[in-house]
Amino acid sequence: MVASEWVQAEVLKAVPDADVEVIDLHRSGDHFHVRIISESFDGMRPLQRQKMVLAVMKQHIPHPVHALDLKCMTPAQAETSGDTAFDPHGGGQGVHIRRIEKKKE
Amino acid sequence: MITMNWTNEELQAIVDEHALVLFMKGTPNEPQCGFSNRAAQALQQFGEPFAAVDILSDQRAIPSVCAWSDFPTMPQVFVQGELVGGSDIVLEMLQDGSLQEMFDAGRSA
Repeated sequence: MVASEWVQAEVLKAVPDADVEVIDLHRSGDHFHVRIISESFDGMRPLQRQKMVLAVMKQHIPHPVHALDLKCMTPAQAETSGDTAFDPHGGGQGVHIRRIEKKKE
Repeated sequence: MITMNWTNEELQAIVDEHALVLFMKGTPNEPQCGFSNRAAQALQQFGEPFAAVDILSDQRAIPSVCAWSDFPTMPQVFVQGELVGGSDIVLEMLQDGSLQEMFDAGRSA
């Protein structure tokens, strides 16, 4: 298992100017929802954005990171984004949960 | 079920033959992972027929598919032969209409 701070530091290696928020979905240190907000995503397709992050993160998958739900947004998209994170084991069907902490503007 | 050896050629043939392909854990009716379930539900909501490949059916599948597509997680969704990403991206593309656009645009040469 790894800490949220470690995931955050790894993501920042890939996207240094980003605002990164990591949620340890089960407090088990292996399922993470990560919100990454960066101007550098502007004009990129969703897969390109994730690949930028995965260039650093994929070496850590599936161990020690088993599940990585990435939300890569521009600052403008973050303004209108909801307050939920997806939990893949939330009752078997997958549910939306409240975010643990609000991002500070 | 066809016998699969999960070679690049076989995987490419699947996405060449079907406009929508979902590589997932389990099946749309019996998903084995919340992310796979979310992707299957997004495609069901989209309404066009899609091919679902259960990558838990063979232990060779996950490493083979991930190496071939150069994407490290499951599920994976292919539209018109092109990887769009996992459940988060397909849901986003369903909601913003870009999935429909990409589906309608057909294959790039």
